[in-house]
Amino acid sequence: MNGSKHDRAGRAEPATVRFSFTPAAAYVRAARLVAADVAAHAGVATGLLDEVRQAVGEACTRAVLRHRDRGIDELVRVEFSIGDRFVAKITDNAQDLRARSGGRVAAGMAGGERRANDHEAIEEDTLSEEITLIVLGGLVEDLVVTGPDAQGRTTVSMSWPLPGSGSSTDH
Amino acid sequence: MRGTSGDGAAEPELGLGLSTVGDYAVISVTGEIDMYTAPKLREAVRQLSSEGRLKVAIDLTPTEFCDSTGLGVLIGARRRLSDAGGSLVVVCANPRIRKLLDLTGLDKVLDVREAVPGE
Repeated sequence: MNGSKHDRAGRAEPATVRFSFTPAAAYVRAARLVAADVAAHAGVATGLLDEVRQAVGEACTRAVLRHRDRGIDELVRVEFSIGDRFVAKITDNAQDLRARSGGRVAAGMAGGERRANDHEAIEEDTLSEEITLIVLGGLVEDLVVTGPDAQGRTTVSMSWPLPGSGSSTDH
Repeated sequence: MRGTSGDGAAEPELGLGLSTVGDYAVISVTGEIDMYTAPKLREAVRQLSSEGRLKVAIDLTPTEFCDSTGLGVLIGARRRLSDAGGSLVVVCANPRIRKLLDLTGLDKVLDVREAVPGE
């Protein structure tokens, strides 16, 4: 749970892949596939690639749900950087109402306070946002959810180890 | 990208196969369940329940990927079927998805089995 290593590698400027997408369900798959591909290229262990794919998908799903809940069309931003570790950051533009800021997520499954909404799909979506955080908390060892910042954005930051310094890229 | 129909465009990466095993209507899910494809699974369960098929098994063993949206659909399906006097069985011998069920605690909430009852 330490974000301090995320931004700078202990050597040159980290290689970066950055993109953004319209907050629509159709694009979440692209984001998670890019994540797995970039992670593989960076040298993340093969056994962790499913975790990267799942986690980035969950974080993007959460961002899309949060935008959709609030009727926000602004882009979801995704950034991967390859330094000492492989770092993924997913940033939404939704005003934070539910994020647990700045700490490991230990969310319960209840979601009972949202049950007043009786539309099945919306209820499932609401539940899904809760579950995304539970899945992320269970999957990812280095996970930080921060925000909202001054612009109302929240960011899910995650990182995974790379092989020893100097061998983390294969360019 | 997928998601549009028409010449050459990819369809959603989700396949649903329907069969009957014993008392259960079985939905066998192939491909990927995510927030884009999950509505199709939700609709399949809704369709079965509207036909009075209230004992449903969702088979995730052949499923390549499932995210939290898929888990939300499972929870919704369980509630819908239970409320109508039926039941949901989740069949999953797939370790990746079992892990997801375990870490969310849903393995204790849902009736998760290795095979369809009566199979």
